[in-house]
Formats: sequence, structure tokens, C-alpha cells
Amino acid sequence: MPQIELNGAMYDVDEDGFLQEPDKWNEAVANAFAALEGVSALTDDHWKVINYLRTYFKENGIAPMVRKLTKDTGVQLKYMYELFPQGPANSACKWAGLPKPTGCV
Amino acid sequence: MKPVSIKKIGTITDGPLSPNEINDLVPLPPPYDRVEEQPGWKKLTKEQEESYACDLDGVTGLSLPKPKDAAEEKRVVEQFVSGLKKLLSSENNWTFLQPLTLTIDYCARCQTCSGACPVYESSGGNEIYRPTYRSEVFRRLVKKYTKTGGELFAKLRLEDIDLNWTTISRLYELSYRCTMCRRCAQACPMGLDNALVTHELRKLFSQELGWAPRELHEKGTVQQLAVGSSTGMKPAVVKENVSFLDEDMSEELGIKIETPWDVAGADVLLIHNAGEILAWPENPAAFAIILNAAGIKWTLSSEAPAYDGVNYGLFYDDFQLARIVTRHMEAAKRLGVKKVIMGECGHQHKAMMTIADRILTGDLNIPRESSITFLEDIVASGRLTLDPARNDFPVTLHDPCNIVRNLGIVEPQRRIIRKICPRFREMTPHGVDNYCCGGGSGMALMSQNNFKDWRVSVSGRKKFRQILDAFADCPGPEVKKYICAPCSNCKGCLLYTSDAADE
Repeated sequence: MPQIELNGAMYDVDEDGFLQEPDKWNEAVANAFAALEGVSALTDDHWKVINYLRTYFKENGIAPMVRKLTKDTGVQLKYMYELFPQGPANSACKWAGLPKPTGCV
Repeated sequence: MKPVSIKKIGTITDGPLSPNEINDLVPLPPPYDRVEEQPGWKKLTKEQEESYACDLDGVTGLSLPKPKDAAEEKRVVEQFVSGLKKLLSSENNWTFLQPLTLTIDYCARCQTCSGACPVYESSGGNEIYRPTYRSEVFRRLVKKYTKTGGELFAKLRLEDIDLNWTTISRLYELSYRCTMCRRCAQACPMGLDNALVTHELRKLFSQELGWAPRELHEKGTVQQLAVGSSTGMKPAVVKENVSFLDEDMSEELGIKIETPWDVAGADVLLIHNAGEILAWPENPAAFAIILNAAGIKWTLSSEAPAYDGVNYGLFYDDFQLARIVTRHMEAAKRLGVKKVIMGECGHQHKAMMTIADRILTGDLNIPRESSITFLEDIVASGRLTLDPARNDFPVTLHDPCNIVRNLGIVEPQRRIIRKICPRFREMTPHGVDNYCCGGGSGMALMSQNNFKDWRVSVSGRKKFRQILDAFADCPGPEVKKYICAPCSNCKGCLLYTSDAADE
């Protein structure tokens, strides 16, 4: 199992860098993931998306559909890519500590 | 590429048995012709090399841990032999024994299959990817370990393969270097099926040793049986998602979209690949619009797992296949529907339509039909008003292996496309001679270590080239183009390949 060092602590991740244990997530982890992708400071809009993702995941056990994410947060897809360079799945979900989606998606 | 003898699979080598070389790969047309700009595959890290079996070709998609000690290795060898014997016995392999035996007994070694295999060709002729390489190793092991006097004859015939950890772990990885597209089987003059050997090996590993890719097993069939879907969607979540899509798409399109749930006695139960709902939501919405417009009495089911038509058991484990398809059909029976329609998912078609015929008995054997023929009937009936002018852009069609080559559904989708896409063009070759997307047999889902890199560069290469060729007259981004691929697995694989190409 690969590991990643974020803020001096080691975390198990999969081959694409997603946390394997969502419970170990904290805000500093999100900041550290963001820094790895060149985003040095998280804005309120970042947090709106990240908090939405975490709440949805806790309730439903999976990540929301992208259409639902954009509609419920009001963050349009184009802006989403400005906030999260690799998009809602590969950046936003990863920074929010969600595991990688499974199945034919 | 260097020749690799069959026996060498059981010999420890300095580095991988037969590594891929980027310079050997079949060339691509411009602008993808420069080898140095191609993605290639990540070199395994020292940690990966130390932890996992990865001495086949320098790629590892399975992260199989190396054995702890000699006792574990011995146990693995014994289990493998026990599994071989089961594959060759009618009590334990009633599903595929006959075609397997024929394939073992009648290969003429003509190599026609190698010429048909996209993985072998794209790799530039890596010996171990020949359909016959895997099969010949299997054949020799079957003869040696399941026939009377087999071990002696193996020595006399100079065919002896050492059965050890190296052989077994390499065979495990090698059984995930074939997409089971069955182009080889179609080409074989003797009617033999080397893709079946791939399948039976995967089955042996799963059913006897408990080895399977976690994307197909833990996250796949196990999750589907436990939660309802390999995507992790529970019944309440799938209903909420579809209801959200109904509302959102109604707003966007100005058409009222309503999806019926759990309608007892409906004519038709539609079972989508649940990945469509999450990743390709226009698809389930389009189905709802079309079926409602055509006046079909249809329904979705919210009973787990009958809202997710996938059945990854088809790829690696007969037991998981049977468990899932039985539950699909029990849900259909409880609803009392007349017919089940399979959504746009190739392996769902094969699992539910053909393989399940040997599992579903009595009133579970509910009629099943492909959504493709079902949609064609609707289009041909004239009940829909279609406007081809809306699709005034170049369109090509990908043929999912399981639907087209393996089930013979070739023309219905083309008759639909010709009615609605004025600028349709075929790939070469197409229909039953199509090439796999590169991710068949579950390989589109597999992503461990450097496996995805291999898929893009090797197994998906032929299809990528076909798509470039189909749009050779309009290659640039200024012309919007459309690839119609009626299978979630193929779509996911093609999207990943094209993203890799963009990079």
C-alpha cells in the first residue's frame, strides 16, 4: 500500500493518491493535498465544496453525482476546475478525503 | 522482441520475463507518432518491486504479495493443482468444461489467433501476449497434473514446466493481459477459444486461491451483493439520484421526464449499468424520454441489486456470477414483469442473456432482451419524431465485443444511427471484426500500480488508432466529433485513453 506524507504524518493512499481511511481526514490534510496541486490557500468556495462532499459522503457512503454537486453548491463546473485543478473527482473528492469512486464510472 | 520459450515461465529471470519496450509498440499516426512524447508506463518503485509479484512484463495490476515462506509457496502450488483438476471435471466445471477440453486438445499451433489479437499486435509482438502462449502453458500443466503418467510424459516430451510460485504468479498477471475480446476465437480455424483459457485461469485463481483484482471482487461483486451496486449506491441513494436527474434534466430540456420505480406487472424492467446514472446521466435520462414517448409500460427496480446490471462475476468467478444474476432475476420475478431489458453494458448482456441461461431455471428464466434491439423496434415503429439535422457532426460507432462479436447484434444499432446521424462513418474494421476498447473483461476498472499506463499504451492502442483513422479528415478540435459506444465499460476506457492522449 503506498503512503503519502502530509504535514509530517503518514497516510495510506491508493495508487491515485486517494486516502484509504476517510476517518483520518482533517482540514490540514485538505490544505496539504491542495498544496501538492499548486493551490496554496483554500478559499471559502473551496471549503463549501469540500464540506458538501464530506457531509454527502457521510450520509450516503459514496460521492455525489457531479451534476448534483454543482447544483447544490452553486459552483459551476468551469469554476470548479479553477478551484480544483483536476476537477471534482480527481481533486475535490481527494482533498475532501473521499475514497476513489468504484464500479463502471 | 525476443522469443520466450514456454518453459521459461517457471524460471526465475533477472528482471521481468518479457518486458515491454516502448520502441516496439505499433506506431501511431501524427500527432501521436513521436515515441518520446508517448506516455509509456511508470517504472515500478523499489517498494512495489519488493512487495509484489511483478516479474512478468514490468507491469503489475494485481499487487499480489510475495509468499512469506516455503510453506506458503507449497500451499499455493497444491491449491493450483487442485484447481486445475476441478476445471477439468464435470462435477466442478459444468459451465465451460466442453469448450475448454476442445481448446486444450485440438490446437493446431497455426498462430492464426496471434494475428487477430490486438494486445499481441499492439505490443509489437511480445511473445507472452500471444493467445497461444498462455494456452500452451495451461495445456502443458493440465497434461502434467491431471492425466495419468502426466509428469513422466512431460519429461519425455521435453514439455516439462516447473510449477512454482514464479509460474503461478506470472500466470495470474498474464490472465489480466487479455481482454477476452475473443477476436482470437473468431479467427481460429478449429473453433477454439483462447479467451476461455484466460477466463478459466482467472476462475481458478478466484475460486481456488481467493485471488482476484480488488476492483472486480471487493469493490465489485462483493460490494454489489452487500450494498446493491458496485458503485456503492444503496437503494435510497439510487432513487434519490435518478429523481434528481429527472428534475434537473426536465429543467434543462423543458421536457417533463419521469422515471417509474417498482411498477408491479410492468411490461419491461430496464436494468441499467448503475455507472451510467453516476457518470453518464444523459443516458438514463434519454432512456426515460424515449420509453415514455413510445408509450412503453416500463419500470426500474429499487431492489438491490436489480438497479445495477453489472455482473463482474462474468470476468473471474462463476459463483459470484450466479449469485448476482439470480438476485437480478428474483427481483424481476417479484415485480412480475414480462421482460427484462439490459441497459448499455456489454458484459451485462453476455452474463444475463447467454451464460445465465445455464443458471436460471423455471420461472426465473424471464425473457431478456438487449436495449439495442428494443430501441431499434421503437425507432422503426415510427412512434418517435426524430430530427437528424440536430446531429450534424461526424459520428463513428464503437462495437462492444460482448454485444457485437459475442452476441451477433451488429445491424440494429447501425439502422438507428443511419436514421439519426447524417455524417456517420464506420471504423475499419468494424462489426464482428471490431477491436476491443482496451478495457474489456473488467480491465477498464483496474487501476493498480502502472496497469492503467499499460492499458493506454498496449491494450487500448488498436482502438485509439481506429478512432484517429475514422476521423482522419477532421482531426482538429475545431470539429466536434462523437464516438457512439453503447457500453459503460468501453466508454470509461475510451475516455481515459483520450484524456491520456490529450496530456
